Amino acid sequence: MGNWLMSIWESFDKAFLVNNRYIAYLEGFRTTLIISFFAVLLGVGVGLILAIIKYMANHLEKNIILTVLNWIANIYIAIIRGTPVYVQLLIIYFVIFAKSPLPPIVSAVICFGINSSAYVAEIIRAGIEAVDGGQMEAGRSLGLSWGQTMISIIMPQAIKNILPALGNEFIVLIKETAIVGTITVLDVTRAAQNVAVATFDYLPPLLITAAMYLVVVVILTKLLGTLERRLAQSDRR
Amino acid sequence: MIDVKDLNKYFGENHVLKNLNEHIEQGEKVVIVGPSGSGKSTFLRCLNLMEKPTSGHVIFEGHDITEAKSKEVNQIRQKMGMVFQHFNLFPHLTIKDNITLAPVKLGIMSKSDAEKKAMELLKRVGLEDKADSYPAQLSGGQKQRIAIVRSLAMNPEVMLFDEPTSALDPEMVGEVLDLMKQLAEDGMTMVVVTHEMGFAREVASRVMFMADGHILEQNTPEEFFANPQNDRLKDFLSKVL
Repeated sequence: MGNWLMSIWESFDKAFLVNNRYIAYLEGFRTTLIISFFAVLLGVGVGLILAIIKYMANHLEKNIILTVLNWIANIYIAIIRGTPVYVQLLIIYFVIFAKSPLPPIVSAVICFGINSSAYVAEIIRAGIEAVDGGQMEAGRSLGLSWGQTMISIIMPQAIKNILPALGNEFIVLIKETAIVGTITVLDVTRAAQNVAVATFDYLPPLLITAAMYLVVVVILTKLLGTLERRLAQSDRR
Repeated sequence: MIDVKDLNKYFGENHVLKNLNEHIEQGEKVVIVGPSGSGKSTFLRCLNLMEKPTSGHVIFEGHDITEAKSKEVNQIRQKMGMVFQHFNLFPHLTIKDNITLAPVKLGIMSKSDAEKKAMELLKRVGLEDKADSYPAQLSGGQKQRIAIVRSLAMNPEVMLFDEPTSALDPEMVGEVLDLMKQLAEDGMTMVVVTHEMGFAREVASRVMFMADGHILEQNTPEEFFANPQNDRLKDFLSKVL
């Protein structure tokens, strides 16, 4: 028994502490977080624009510009959601940015940002649609413009509908970035693989990596839960 | 104050308002009654362009709002308060913020002036203790009174009521009608779509009967109820009175 524990300790020691290997994990972890953070920003930004185009096309008087924009948005969403993110990553890095001097991490951020935006667009649109139609009427009847009503009345309520699904999307995105090693980005998963290759022992580094993702996801879930509760303040009776 | 000329409204193939011509004077309290589907709500909603007429004109104080740009329409709506069947309070805001949002956002009042005005109005309807509550914490009757107060905070020149008591429990109808009576006594110009015949009889300066997209008859409440001429109206009154 003692020997067995000893050997487990040794293999984790080798995977984490020997040669200061933990630095590789932490640097990889930082890269994972950077990609996730900027991809989320890009995804929410583009997704919000797409959602508002689709919402306007559905709810405002028909005009040619909106119809065309809506058409483009639908095709964009269909293509992005209809193809694997892995393939998208390869296309962006090896085809679109093939001759670009930008570091591969930029390709990763753009890929995951664009990918996420298609899902976020539908999440936000559904959240806006779920706000009672009488809210827009009430805002407009007071003399507020469409935009003012949207910003002060519709969106604050829509965010409450959007948040749970959006949190889910963030969680998925963080974990999906584990494939960026393919385009030579040193994220935490790739760091673990490197350690595994160097030590001829896969289990400890992969467990360490898994634990790191888990910690981020748990913290994010907690934060989102707190935010949701705060937004639900007005529901209390 | 409001002139309606040759107003037509179609929903797809459905001809809901049929060439209506009407004039509403300042200080009038016009009550519109009629069977459901008669177009009375649509007519009311055309007055502030919540519903865009298919053809015809709505002229408010000399401005043809059917021809106006959306910016002008927004400005005209500030002078036309509207109260809805389902209250449409903003659930994410406190009562006070519900009332002050529009005047502050539109730059009509400073935040502190708007709050002062809100508290005055709340006091007037006896709900000042609800200023920091959220709509979900109020009863239906309280919500509707707040909705009326929210419109009043804009100092409107006319108030449009779209079945304001239809979604209320019976015991709460009275408190809303009382507030509307008060408003009428203060001289507010009002256009009210309702099924409350008692209110029509007591408060209206003119009662209008709509059916099938036409205004079939209108008169002072005394004549309207005692001496109906149109057969459809006689039939309607026999069912609701």
